[in-house]
Amino acid sequence: MRQVKSWARLLLDLLRELADENAYRRHLVAHGKEPSPEAWRKFCDERLIARFVRPRCC
Amino acid sequence: MRKILGHLLWAVISVLAAFALAGIALNRGEPVNSVWLVVAAVCTYLVGFRFYARFIGARVMGLNNDRATPAERLRNGHDYEPTNKWIVFGHHFAAIAGPGPLVGPVLAAQFGYLPGTLWIIIGAVLGGCVQDFMILFASMRRDGKSLGQMAREEIGRVGGVTALVTVLLIIIILLAVVALVVVNALRDSPWGTFTIACTMPIAVFMGLYLRYWRPGKVLEVSLIGFVLVVLAIIGGQWVAESPSWARVFTLSGPALAIAVIIYGFFASALPVWLLLAPRDYLSTFVKLGVVFLLAGGILLVRPDLQLPALTRFADGTGPIFAGTIFPFCFITIACGAISGFHSLIASGTTPKLIAREWHAWPVGYGAMALESFVAIMAMIAACALPPGVYFAVNSPAAVVGETPQAATATISSWGFPVTAFEMEQWAREVGEQTLLHRTGGAPSLALGMAHIFASSVGRQFLGFWYHFAIMFEALFILTILDAGTRVGRFMLQDLLGHIWKPMGRTSWMPGVIFTSAVIVLAWGYFLYQGVLDPLGGINSLWPLFGIANQLLAAVALCVATTILIKMHGVRYMWITCLPLAWLVTVTFTAGYQKIFSPEPRIGFLAQAAQLQAALQAGKVANVAEAHALIFNARLDAVVCAIFLVLVLLILGDSIRVWYGVLTGRKEARPLEAPFVMTRLKPEEI
Repeated sequence: MRQVKSWARLLLDLLRELADENAYRRHLVAHGKEPSPEAWRKFCDERLIARFVRPRCC
Repeated sequence: MRKILGHLLWAVISVLAAFALAGIALNRGEPVNSVWLVVAAVCTYLVGFRFYARFIGARVMGLNNDRATPAERLRNGHDYEPTNKWIVFGHHFAAIAGPGPLVGPVLAAQFGYLPGTLWIIIGAVLGGCVQDFMILFASMRRDGKSLGQMAREEIGRVGGVTALVTVLLIIIILLAVVALVVVNALRDSPWGTFTIACTMPIAVFMGLYLRYWRPGKVLEVSLIGFVLVVLAIIGGQWVAESPSWARVFTLSGPALAIAVIIYGFFASALPVWLLLAPRDYLSTFVKLGVVFLLAGGILLVRPDLQLPALTRFADGTGPIFAGTIFPFCFITIACGAISGFHSLIASGTTPKLIAREWHAWPVGYGAMALESFVAIMAMIAACALPPGVYFAVNSPAAVVGETPQAATATISSWGFPVTAFEMEQWAREVGEQTLLHRTGGAPSLALGMAHIFASSVGRQFLGFWYHFAIMFEALFILTILDAGTRVGRFMLQDLLGHIWKPMGRTSWMPGVIFTSAVIVLAWGYFLYQGVLDPLGGINSLWPLFGIANQLLAAVALCVATTILIKMHGVRYMWITCLPLAWLVTVTFTAGYQKIFSPEPRIGFLAQAAQLQAALQAGKVANVAEAHALIFNARLDAVVCAIFLVLVLLILGDSIRVWYGVLTGRKEARPLEAPFVMTRLKPEEI
């Protein structure tokens, strides 16, 4: 049961990583901020601009 | 005891791999079950991963978990962050998985299942996985530097500039070919066109939801987006059945191409958060979900392969694309076995997330093995279709005949029986007006996937699954289109910024509009040319894309070989030199044939000469179109020649460096970041 839980947690973590939710959390910690619409927009602008200058895979 | 059991287990896996590979290679005359392909692939990947990749990691790279990675040393909470290895694995796999490994094997199935399957497995284990692993390692030891930076530093300026220009050209061809795949899939398909049209307002809604209503709730909005997309698929059936609405959403190839070009321009110029980012999240989740769904479907249904091991088209007379197995099977498979594009990902985000050096082993080598397995699944999906149906969907009208009767009679005469009635029935079941001449690979892949899914849950859902698969393919291809246009725009702005400073500013609107338009027109031109091509466009564009992609892999392997020579001299250079030699041989043979072959269906120049002769003899009905086709064929020949020259340049430059290092004239110092002991605790990862 514990193993199933740990796999489920890993899967959720992966989904959060792919969704940038973990990165947002790290961003808040790094800048000492609380979650807010402003903080999200600032994070988004920085993160997404950096992400979409790299080529996509075929 | 445990050690003995371990040895025994690996002996069993190795024997299984050899047995299954021999089984699919030697079996003739009776249908082969897809499980053979799955066992052969999985066992070979496992053996390659456990022995070959471990050898490379331990002896060649000298991976050391005590050495702090850039993720730890340069940790900034943004790009550089030590991350759990399975999360990095998922991240890396999601980034490298594109339409290439899905479409390439489907097209290569015209030779039969055997050549493509063997190349996917062997090419990945000895080439693709090694390339990804090596570049990831090299970038990780160099603070996460990009392939271009490493090429410039390890080889020289020529190598760096060549890599940059190659990438820009490849992006243009890639975008044209993937756009063509979408256009061919949606042509005269109101159901598909409606569904894909709906994904745009859905993505905008997701963007606004995330920006203003529920900031940061990406998983939540992706789930909402997925439900809306499924509703759009269901609504698409209603649209297709309504005569008035069906007319609105029934678009010809050229009309769709223009719509995609206009869309590409606006999508690349709009703010990222509004359209691109939400659709990127959604397409990533749908992509991963479908890959695992397909794997589950194949294991559940275990379909027999209907296509033979080898078809008569091994001689180069194939209807889908012309050319013999060597070199065209290898060019066509592309990303399923080895992909140059992966080296851009392996030297991009991924090395900045690796927490321990040995994590590069499953991430670099393992993720590519999984990608190769996706290609195997695509091959199974295509080969599970009745061969007559597969060829009827994929063959252009100019080769098999315009009418259903003519097309099915031609295909039946090749030994793949199919009737016009049978094709009508398939089309009716999936809610399409026709499935004939739907070149590009996507419709036949969707049909194969729907066939597998429907076999497990009931044939009455065939239409839903077909359009679900089309939606899945189009969704992430369109994401590649706008993201790729944006990347091309940035590269062009960077280049033009050296000539005129304001052009380099990414916030200067006239510059943004001008460079976006240049990139969109560049790929749009090739797309439109493909749509008008009487041979379906795929015949000329896919090999061009395959050559370009494999040549980029050659650039990556040149960088990897240079690093290996600087580390160990000649001792281990065979690891990257062997795949490099193979790739150079294959791509140069294919490139030469695509330019100079006297067969008009293969050689661009011969095609132009044939059209010119027909024009002079007055045998052409549409003179303007013939002139355009002649120009396009010559342009394709020039683009192909440019690719070959670029790679000759970087290869020549690399050989100069290798010679210098091996003869002691050049310093053999790999430009790695200095060793720093890790302080990362296991619980921090």
